[in-house]
Amino acid sequence: MKDLKVPKQYTIKKTPKETLENWYRLMKIGRALDEKAPNYLKQAIGWSYHAPYAGHDGIQLAIGQSFEKKKDHLYMYYRDMLTALAGGMTSEEIILNGISKATDPSSGGRHMSNHLAKPEWNMHSVSSATGNHTLHAVGTGRAIKYYGEKAVSISSQGESSVSEGYVYEAITGADKEELPVIFVVQDNGYGISVPKKDQTAQRKVANNFIGYKNLRIIHCNGKDVFDSMNAMAEAKRYAIEESKPVLLQANCVRMGSHSNSDDHLLYRSDAERNYVVEYDPLAKYRRLLLRYERFTEEELNKIDEEVKVEIKASHKAAMAAPDPDPATIYDHVFSDPYVSEKYPEGLHNEEGEKTKFITALNETLKAEFRNNPDTFIWGQDMANKDKGGIFNVSKGMQAEFGEKRVFNGPIAEDFILGTANGMSRYHEKIRVVVEGAEFADYFWPAMEQYVDTSHDLWRSNGKFSPNVTIRLASGGYIGGGMYHSQNIEGSLAAIPGVRIVYPSFADDAAGLLRTSIRSEGLTMFMEPKALYQDPKAATVVPDDFEVPFGKARIRREGSDLTILTYGNTTHLSLDAAKKLAEEGIADVEVIDLRSLIPLDEETILNSIKKTNKVLVVHEDKVFGGFGGELSALINEKGFEYLDAPIKRVGSPFTPVGFNRILEQAILPNTQRIYTAAKELIEY
Amino acid sequence: MSKTAIIYSYNTQKSKKVAEKVIAAFGEKEIEAVNAEELSKDVLNKYDNFILSAPTWFDGELPNYWDEFLPDLEEMDLKKKKFAIFGLGDQKGYTENFCDAIGLLAEILEECGATIVGETSVEGYTFEASRAQRGDKFIGLPIDQENQARKTKQRVEDWVAQLKKEF
Repeated sequence: MKDLKVPKQYTIKKTPKETLENWYRLMKIGRALDEKAPNYLKQAIGWSYHAPYAGHDGIQLAIGQSFEKKKDHLYMYYRDMLTALAGGMTSEEIILNGISKATDPSSGGRHMSNHLAKPEWNMHSVSSATGNHTLHAVGTGRAIKYYGEKAVSISSQGESSVSEGYVYEAITGADKEELPVIFVVQDNGYGISVPKKDQTAQRKVANNFIGYKNLRIIHCNGKDVFDSMNAMAEAKRYAIEESKPVLLQANCVRMGSHSNSDDHLLYRSDAERNYVVEYDPLAKYRRLLLRYERFTEEELNKIDEEVKVEIKASHKAAMAAPDPDPATIYDHVFSDPYVSEKYPEGLHNEEGEKTKFITALNETLKAEFRNNPDTFIWGQDMANKDKGGIFNVSKGMQAEFGEKRVFNGPIAEDFILGTANGMSRYHEKIRVVVEGAEFADYFWPAMEQYVDTSHDLWRSNGKFSPNVTIRLASGGYIGGGMYHSQNIEGSLAAIPGVRIVYPSFADDAAGLLRTSIRSEGLTMFMEPKALYQDPKAATVVPDDFEVPFGKARIRREGSDLTILTYGNTTHLSLDAAKKLAEEGIADVEVIDLRSLIPLDEETILNSIKKTNKVLVVHEDKVFGGFGGELSALINEKGFEYLDAPIKRVGSPFTPVGFNRILEQAILPNTQRIYTAAKELIEY
Repeated sequence: MSKTAIIYSYNTQKSKKVAEKVIAAFGEKEIEAVNAEELSKDVLNKYDNFILSAPTWFDGELPNYWDEFLPDLEEMDLKKKKFAIFGLGDQKGYTENFCDAIGLLAEILEECGATIVGETSVEGYTFEASRAQRGDKFIGLPIDQENQARKTKQRVEDWVAQLKKEF
């Protein structure tokens, strides 16, 4: 893109005195806190993580001052203390965050110090994974554009974060979608101790993006207040007026170490440390104020004294604030689910024509999109003429709901999920459904966003709930081999904060999908793709069916043995139970869990109380599979009911082979379930 | 010849040494030294010809003493004045911004109506980009004490000889 000029809106001579004073005061408060923070650690009060910002003062002041609270969206990184202050946070709030008090507006002491946020102002909570909020900023930018607001989404980050692949995904996406996103790269030359020459071939990392079609690149001196203010003002004007992204690289210095767990004496020479201090932005700003006679020494000294008084008062107030209550650790792990009044147990007695699993999903998606205009869906292969999703689950949706609500995502799973997280930050009414990957076992590149999103609610102390449903076509029995036939729910279930559902029948699929979309929070919706068209999974589906989370369904009642299962193996288990009954061997109860997290412990334990024997069956590996948790739960809470050891059937500890012979040798089948059940009954 | 001033920061080490070489080549009596840390409009009003030292800092920035003078400098009418700029840079370590400060300062001076003299050839330097470059010339004299210190003396002497004609 052509190198456009940045107008000089702000200069030392023309900027109103009260503005200059406000900036000076903010910079002094910020620096006082920046220098005071390590003392809290030395006194064992807290603030064990502090990344000093000194040397970034110009650009951080500019980001914060450019941010319009409740209108723009701001994602700060862990060094952005002055950004937060300049954006409106108080010194007391900064200290509350630093020493992790219950009243810390960023996280109530749950997240690391220096991870500043105020979600109610659109100063969003960010993770520690450097630069991963670029994806969130892009998602928010997408919402700003969709809803036609004249605002920007700002992602602030260090230059080393641009080494992360997801940052490229984010910038590529914002460029492609022409979104009003400003990526501010604060370049201090180091990623902890790693110099930028070890990160990128170009010293100015923004120039790595020169070939992007819609992205405007602006360089500024992040140590200079006026250059930074002008650059941010122009970036914001351009992003809003042109609806295009801007990459703003601000050259800064890092006057201190990376953080208080780093010692820059180990890798920086005396000369380097001295000259970066010579370029202290605050000292420069003060010199300019005096040199151009905008302030007298006495006036500035008076502000300095006032700042000291303010910091003292803020310290006192923050020290007196309450600590977090340990009893609250379970608060905000999960968001509030949608409550079904008509189907509180997720059961129905409707009769009529049966609907296939895939049709039930398609019709439910459409019904929910008609019901809520603030629903969106994207993913790979999502919408191209008659194609609607890799398995056509979303067929016809783009035609009905338009390209702005139903669209293709790039082949970038982390981007698909990360922008869903970001878009849902724009407004709590928004509900996003994503096809997380073409197949469940392609989901792994999105794991960093999955982990991040899983703890967004908890981390923000309940202030931000990512209202996202991730749909994944899961499992085997299709001759798909690796990346096309494996199960991942065992691994995902180890991460708190995500509901995981795995239906086996069309009605439950419809009911759980409706509940997922209507609920707040993140839900992983696993679809056993082998059942999409299978007549065995077809059922009558009431138009308004709802299945609450954490409600298992007894698909076959019995008295001799309980089989706990979900997904594809529900049908195999029912077949095995039928055979055992027909042979007069046993009357087996088959429980379709439907929902792994939350888990219906009551139904499980009640059944075992009755049958005294339990077989856990799933398609995923036995070792490390979700059945291990089920077994442990029963051992802990139902041991007294058992007359036999808990037995498990699942895949061996191998990948899933492509050749059908190999697949059959690996995935569970009716015979294996039958044999295991028989052994248990005969125990 | 009109009055000539050489402006450089007395706080510097390497730039100061090169400035001293320039002074020696120019003839001490022909030129007056001014500390760049104490710049003012008066200094620029006082002389007609100037030799400026503008080392490049960081990834292509002016040093503070120039940067902080810009608000005044940008307002000046320099139509009748001539400026020659030399600057230290590192063509290997900072090859994408080699001696940018020379170009940055020249652009501002030109906007004020000043005439820039002392162009030099890019031959003998290896770098990727420089704001000081215009075609096959530099708008001033790049000095690379990090990689080509042995060439400095000759470069300065040739340049000063050229300046004496151009001022």
